[in-house]
Amino acid sequence: MDLNGLNELAKHLRLETVRMIYEGKDGHPGPALSIADIVTALYFDIMNINPQNPTWEDRDRFILSKGHACPIYYTALNEKGYFGDKISNFNLRALGSIFQGHPVMRTTPGVDMTSGSLGNGISIGAGMAIAGKLNKKSYNVYIIVGDGELQEGVVWEGINVAAAHKLDNMIVFVDDNNWQSGGAVDKTIGSRNIKERFESFCWDVQEIDGHDISMIQKAVKVAKNTPGKPHAIVCKTIKGKGVDFMENNNAWHKGVPTDAEFESIMAQLGGRV
Amino acid sequence: MKKFSGTREAFAAAMTDMVREGKKNYFVSPDSVGAMRSIPFAKEFPDRYVEVGIAEQASVNVAAGLASCGLIPFVGTYAGFLTMRACEQMRTFVAYPNLNVKFVGINAGLVGGEREGVTHQFYEDLGVLSSIPGFTIFTPADAIQTYLAVKMAYEIEGPVYIRAGSGREIDVYDENSVFNKNGVTLLRNYGSDIVVFASGFILDRVLKAADLLKDENVNISVADVNILHGKNPSKIIELITKAKVVFTVEDHNINGGLGSYISQLACEHSPKNVYRIGLTTFGKSGPAKELADSFGYSPEQLVNKIKNKI
Repeated sequence: MDLNGLNELAKHLRLETVRMIYEGKDGHPGPALSIADIVTALYFDIMNINPQNPTWEDRDRFILSKGHACPIYYTALNEKGYFGDKISNFNLRALGSIFQGHPVMRTTPGVDMTSGSLGNGISIGAGMAIAGKLNKKSYNVYIIVGDGELQEGVVWEGINVAAAHKLDNMIVFVDDNNWQSGGAVDKTIGSRNIKERFESFCWDVQEIDGHDISMIQKAVKVAKNTPGKPHAIVCKTIKGKGVDFMENNNAWHKGVPTDAEFESIMAQLGGRV
Repeated sequence: MKKFSGTREAFAAAMTDMVREGKKNYFVSPDSVGAMRSIPFAKEFPDRYVEVGIAEQASVNVAAGLASCGLIPFVGTYAGFLTMRACEQMRTFVAYPNLNVKFVGINAGLVGGEREGVTHQFYEDLGVLSSIPGFTIFTPADAIQTYLAVKMAYEIEGPVYIRAGSGREIDVYDENSVFNKNGVTLLRNYGSDIVVFASGFILDRVLKAADLLKDENVNISVADVNILHGKNPSKIIELITKAKVVFTVEDHNINGGLGSYISQLACEHSPKNVYRIGLTTFGKSGPAKELADSFGYSPEQLVNKIKNKI
């Protein structure tokens, strides 16, 4: 798919994400919109996967460590064909739905690991990356973490393990939107030197615009050509990106659009009423 | 000569034997390679040893990642550093997705932690795990049983926890014994009026107590419970049903472990008095034997506790 197609697709996935939350009457739109371009680039350009065989042992792995952003993940899997015929009504968070409040392995086809309890994705991904090396597989492990999530101690245990084992088959995207549940990250705990912190743990680090799909593609290529270290791609992002009244408005960390708001979203993201 | 000098050596021996047998077992170490007596294992099989440093939560997560890719990891370290510090990882990223990760928790109980003191003695591990769905819980009574438990854990699909000690365990079982799939083994049968269920490394003490009571013509039997909350507890229920009164003895808090398990079975299947003998406080530093004696686990004190209730 060319860049224009990927950008259009990201816009469509944003719409589907918010629609899922609007119809399900619950969920986290802001954190999902923040990573829409990264997820689009991964699922529709970068990752070596097979929706017809979700547990293919040679596939690239993906962990959404910030699991609350799962609506964008579910729409990407849907668009990619993991559920057979495309699902129009996700029943997000509804009783009996395969689309649980946070991602669940073995419940939703295509979900490689349960997530949602913040901080755990990097160390679990390190295990997958170690297994890849032990099994002499060439797959990569992709992980998206939030910037607020980096406050969890177990994140740094995982970062340490990945560096020690020289897991160059592991690429972590940091969704650096400077927001967390309770407010701005820099106002909550202060430290914003993400790049320096990863570098001091001996990681290969790049900083990019997380909404520029061409930069995401390029950064992954650079990472793949940098052997011997795990890779962090710190993505400057805007929480709520793509919906004007949600952008940089932390009230949309979790929330459901009204009917009027949803009409505006449809107009902004090219939906049909 | 003893086959294994302790449960940790038994773990390392089982891991070594399994690799030689062509199994896919891996040892994930949060800097526990020495504590788990696995330095020779790591040297002989460097590809089967995954070191993560002093980071228990990461050790469980790394194991979850390995298991999701088809490997069978064993995470071994101090029981509480697993079941308390990394409890959430054991629950959410191993038990919930039913990943094939095995855990060996050492320094269990007063006998396991002994001179290290409370920070390294763990008498809550079984209580923690009992409330997490999907865990198979093994409580071997000595080193020979631990060797067998490790090998059986490998054969079970899904998470397994094995409670282990630190070398002060007294061997009770014969070298040719098996790890009983029924979850209970009757080791003394001097009558069925009183049944005493024991689990873990105080079994030798309970057997001595039963022998002393037999000399006083007390009608008593002793059964070792090696699986907690197993799928088929019918043999345990049978013993409870035959007895007039039931006792439990464990080197664990009185709540959440063997006593709770047997009480539950008695309540639901054959109600009668169940008296639980276990810990109600934190421990102290001290040599295993003296420590266990001081907390009421000497055979003589067990005899008195039983006689006081009958």
